[in-house]
Amino acid sequence: MKKIPLSASGPVMKDYTCSVTPTWCEGCGNYGIWTALKTALVELKLQPHQVLLCYDVGCHGNMSDKMLGYRIHGLHGRVIPLAAGAKLANPRLPVIAVGGDGASFSEGVGHLVHAIRSNYPITLLMHNNANYGLTTGQASALTKKGERMNSSPNGIPEETLNSMDFVFSLKPTFVARAFSGNVPQMVQIMKAAILHRGFAYVDILQACPSYNHFATQEWLEEHCYSVQDGKKKYDTSDFDLARKTAVDTGKKIATGILYQGKDVPDFIERLQPRKNVKTTPVEEVAITDISRWMERFI
Amino acid sequence: MVRTSLKVVGAQGQGVNSVGEMCAKGLKRAGYCVFGYREYMSLIRGGHSSYQLDSANTLIRSSETHVDVVVCFNHHGIRTNLPDLKEGGILIHQTAQWKFSPEEEKLISAKHLKIIELPTLDILRTLNAKPILGNVLITAVVWSIFRRKPEELKALVTEQFGHKADLLAQNFSCIEEGFAFHGKHAANICVTLPEPDDQWRKQLLLTGSHAMGLGIVHAGCRLYAGYPMTPSSPLLTYIADLQNETGMTVKQAEDEITAAQMMVGAMHMGTRAITATSDGGFDLMTETLSLAGITETPAVFVLAQRPGPGTGLPTWTAQGDLLLAVHAGHGEFPRLVLAPADSSDSFDLMPEAFNKAEEFQIPVIVLTDKHLAEALFTQKPYDQKRSQLRRGSLVTDPKKLKSLKASDRYDPSAPDGISLRWLPGSEAVTYCAQGDEHDSEGNVSEASANAAAQMQKRMKKLEALKASLPEPDITGSEHPEILIVSWGSTKGVVEDVLRDEAFRGRQIAHLHYTYLWPLKTERFVALARAAKHTVCVEGNHTGQLSMLLKRACGIGPTDEVLKADGRPFFSDELKEKLMPLLRP
Repeated sequence: MKKIPLSASGPVMKDYTCSVTPTWCEGCGNYGIWTALKTALVELKLQPHQVLLCYDVGCHGNMSDKMLGYRIHGLHGRVIPLAAGAKLANPRLPVIAVGGDGASFSEGVGHLVHAIRSNYPITLLMHNNANYGLTTGQASALTKKGERMNSSPNGIPEETLNSMDFVFSLKPTFVARAFSGNVPQMVQIMKAAILHRGFAYVDILQACPSYNHFATQEWLEEHCYSVQDGKKKYDTSDFDLARKTAVDTGKKIATGILYQGKDVPDFIERLQPRKNVKTTPVEEVAITDISRWMERFI
Repeated sequence: MVRTSLKVVGAQGQGVNSVGEMCAKGLKRAGYCVFGYREYMSLIRGGHSSYQLDSANTLIRSSETHVDVVVCFNHHGIRTNLPDLKEGGILIHQTAQWKFSPEEEKLISAKHLKIIELPTLDILRTLNAKPILGNVLITAVVWSIFRRKPEELKALVTEQFGHKADLLAQNFSCIEEGFAFHGKHAANICVTLPEPDDQWRKQLLLTGSHAMGLGIVHAGCRLYAGYPMTPSSPLLTYIADLQNETGMTVKQAEDEITAAQMMVGAMHMGTRAITATSDGGFDLMTETLSLAGITETPAVFVLAQRPGPGTGLPTWTAQGDLLLAVHAGHGEFPRLVLAPADSSDSFDLMPEAFNKAEEFQIPVIVLTDKHLAEALFTQKPYDQKRSQLRRGSLVTDPKKLKSLKASDRYDPSAPDGISLRWLPGSEAVTYCAQGDEHDSEGNVSEASANAAAQMQKRMKKLEALKASLPEPDITGSEHPEILIVSWGSTKGVVEDVLRDEAFRGRQIAHLHYTYLWPLKTERFVALARAAKHTVCVEGNHTGQLSMLLKRACGIGPTDEVLKADGRPFFSDELKEKLMPLLRP
């Protein structure tokens, strides 16, 4: 077993590498996301023991044993509350939730709503391949209407959920969109997301060569542009501009950090009992004297 | 035991609880053990609710179906609860010019009932007091009927309103008027309380939920995530009300799945966290329960039972979820199910629930019910010196942390299947808490030998856990002819009944199960084999503990006393059901 380097020079990519071979399809967007995540953690100088990665169930969840770092691989659709609970217990540790579009917009969509309004200080990396890959290509709420998918031989009858319009309607404090084929941009976005004060929503458009035949790697390469690359400086603090830019995917798809509000307190900052508390709930576990409350019942 | 019982009835929101609580506190301070029982409906205003207090100068842990005094807030109470009075009982009502029906008149005369009509509104008007003070006036009349002193009530209201001179003066006038009214109009209608006993005066008067809340704080729990659902809500409310003093993180989640996930996430990170819910809410949590089973994450769930199926009877009680607790969640994994019986257990067992969860790295289900959650107990102040913090094989020593291998986390050869656990953030090698079947490091593995080894590793913990549990508590005869078996909140009423004259001197034993899964049966088998009758007393329709016992040791009870109507067992009712056993 490899020793974790604890030198002041910081971690290197190898520190996150493990011996388990990836099982994703050839050309899967997960390879890029996986590389970007490791790079972002290294560039933030976080050692593997200084982070908690929480995985939902899906193709992305198969990353849970493909890199090091403290990890938990939970249930389908439930990664957000699992990650939020962990963060509340130890606010000092960066907590990153990794989920897919099936988990975040169908099975666990309620959790996304409440995570945004609660502004938990965690990051959600939302692997958006617009289908259920691991169960061999059923439609998700983000699949294009009319597409013929596994279990939808006549094309899906439901309307496609506009994920960005939905997210912006909830007054998020950090929204970014990335493309799994652009690793350097993903690294920058992930770093900013992890450092964000509250809940960071990162929508990663992910190529799925096996089951997504409508938004392919080539199609995404052609259509994605970065708001940070434009001639005019993009103002990430302009909420209305961000919403318009994010939702408008008719011709081109905007990527990059679309919106960041830095002035909104996160959930833990809002908790009255935790104000000015220097310790974490993890450190506070001890048999506690309850005499003062017991006396009130005499 | 000389039992004195008082039942306050009325619509929800009329002041039933407030009179009940004041009388309870007054009686306890006067030197009586009080047991309070509330019945109410799933609505906010209206309906019909009651607050019953049974008191004695010795230990009392149950209610009776019939009472000495009924206090009615409205005429529905007169109609509904007149038959609840014992022979010679007293009805206090406030409905002007109430005419009893011929049937009621017959009942009154046959049972020699005494009626007091209290002109509350007139008295309040004379005193220029607000309607809310009617509660104090009524309490004063009851107090006078009990032949207690007005000073006792004055001391109580001073505690509450001492800082508001005007209000206090009005309270005092109401107390005086209540005594004056009784003295003038019904002086001969009285209830003689037994001699008080000083031991009760300094004891606590609290509900099972209060007791459990104190136990949770005491256990070092630092995070509570819940979703409102009766009868688990009073626990959420109490813990939330204390948060500014305890510094606990309290989260009212968007649903029960969230609450359970947050608890598991927080426990994985290394704090002590808990969630509480009731029937349907627990159904929603069961997938998370199963996850904790395979990731071997310590977890504590409080399941407060009420009658199902479906929404069932939301504000009533049941013991219908024992088998649910034992079997909930898909797949096979070890768990601990325990059931506190009363306010002592509700406190004492909470540190233990967390200790066992951490020592064995398993989910623990604390099975309570509406009766326990909301009943009012007279309770000896808790002995906090006995409590221990046991965190099992949790590694925190920096040196030891550095020597860990990732494969230590789920090492199948660990003694008793209990492998080392260390927390995210620890300067050590990392691992994956894996919800898929996994190898010793938490890497996904679908290999057959590994799957078998990991299943055996986890299930081995159940044997060690079982060995660590005590046998069920036994009271009474060592060689019983009659063995009464109970679990959970039924303990109190069984003990009260067995103290009755009729059962004294008989070879009877009471075996009470606190730890229900894994189930210890050695003591049960020894007693049941020798006993003529073995009777399981349970608040459910199918005899769930009986089923577990039969499965675990092949022996079941000879008789069952079951009840599934939303009500707890009442002492007179249970006595009647057990009496036939005494016949030769």
